[in-house]
Amino acid sequence: MKTTKLLKKYAPKELAESFVFRTKLTAKEKKESDITLNELRKRVQEQTTSKQKLLSHLLQLKYQIEDYSKNATYDTNRSFGYFLREYLKPLNKKNKEFASDIDIDETELSQILNQHRKPADKFIIRLEIHSNKTIPAITWFRLLEKEKEHEILTDYAMRRNESRHVKNRLQLSI
Amino acid sequence: MYIIERITNKKHPVIIEPVANEDYKKITKKKYFFNWKTEKKYDVYKLRRDDNDIILGLISVTNEKKEKRIEIKLLSVSIENRGKNKQYERITGTLIGYVCREALKHYGIDGCVSLVPKTKLKKHYINRYGMMDAGKQIFLTGLSLLKIVNNYYDENN
Repeated sequence: MKTTKLLKKYAPKELAESFVFRTKLTAKEKKESDITLNELRKRVQEQTTSKQKLLSHLLQLKYQIEDYSKNATYDTNRSFGYFLREYLKPLNKKNKEFASDIDIDETELSQILNQHRKPADKFIIRLEIHSNKTIPAITWFRLLEKEKEHEILTDYAMRRNESRHVKNRLQLSI
Repeated sequence: MYIIERITNKKHPVIIEPVANEDYKKITKKKYFFNWKTEKKYDVYKLRRDDNDIILGLISVTNEKKEKRIEIKLLSVSIENRGKNKQYERITGTLIGYVCREALKHYGIDGCVSLVPKTKLKKHYINRYGMMDAGKQIFLTGLSLLKIVNNYYDENN
């Protein structure tokens, strides 16, 4: 079926709910159109409120955590502490103030930020509540799970250490 | 993300994922209207229910990184999902919502999603998806982009 036939068969509203068609612009049209688009985008950005900016930042962070958690690759730079710092950035608060907001000790927050301590469940639940559920606790949990998975896969020192506690190992081979 | 079965009004969770090479064998012009093989130069995604492999909709996009903008090049629902007797509601909105999510993930508040519409359809995209009019192009950014993400991607995600 050709596009013209399709345009006859379905109402424009139905087509807009089913397709985006290929539409070519000439180089001149494209250039002019891009200028208009950029001007309008700038105008919209100028009207963006601080609340909308904050929401965008949190959603951006949430989607980055979601995709990183699903990704098979582990990146030492993308730790819980790194994403938590990203969460704190737009809040413009000192660690002491934020620790007080979620009722934890400032030292505990500092240790979590610097990866010297794992956050407890209540910590990520409080983060969810603090973000007004924009970033659910489960999103933070999946990030922690990925870190744990990496630790278990790569902790050779623990394997050596624990080996001393295992007797009568099964002798299996193919 | 979910779509709604029109007859039963039942919600079905969906997955959007990149189209694999082997998918192109079943992506026919008869069912998805366009020759989708020509879109391989872009990023092509498919939408399916999470409990089966039937492709319900397709979208191709190009990420214009310097402009912090993702452009929708082509979109089609499957033949069963066109017109009044469509099987599911929300396929197109969910595909657009997913692209908006990607724009937000990459570019935050500066992110933009645009398309070049057929003149006849422009006002319908504007009404249906809250797109803004930039003459030859229509677009989503700022609040309009957040709304689409909220309505089609994040709700019950």
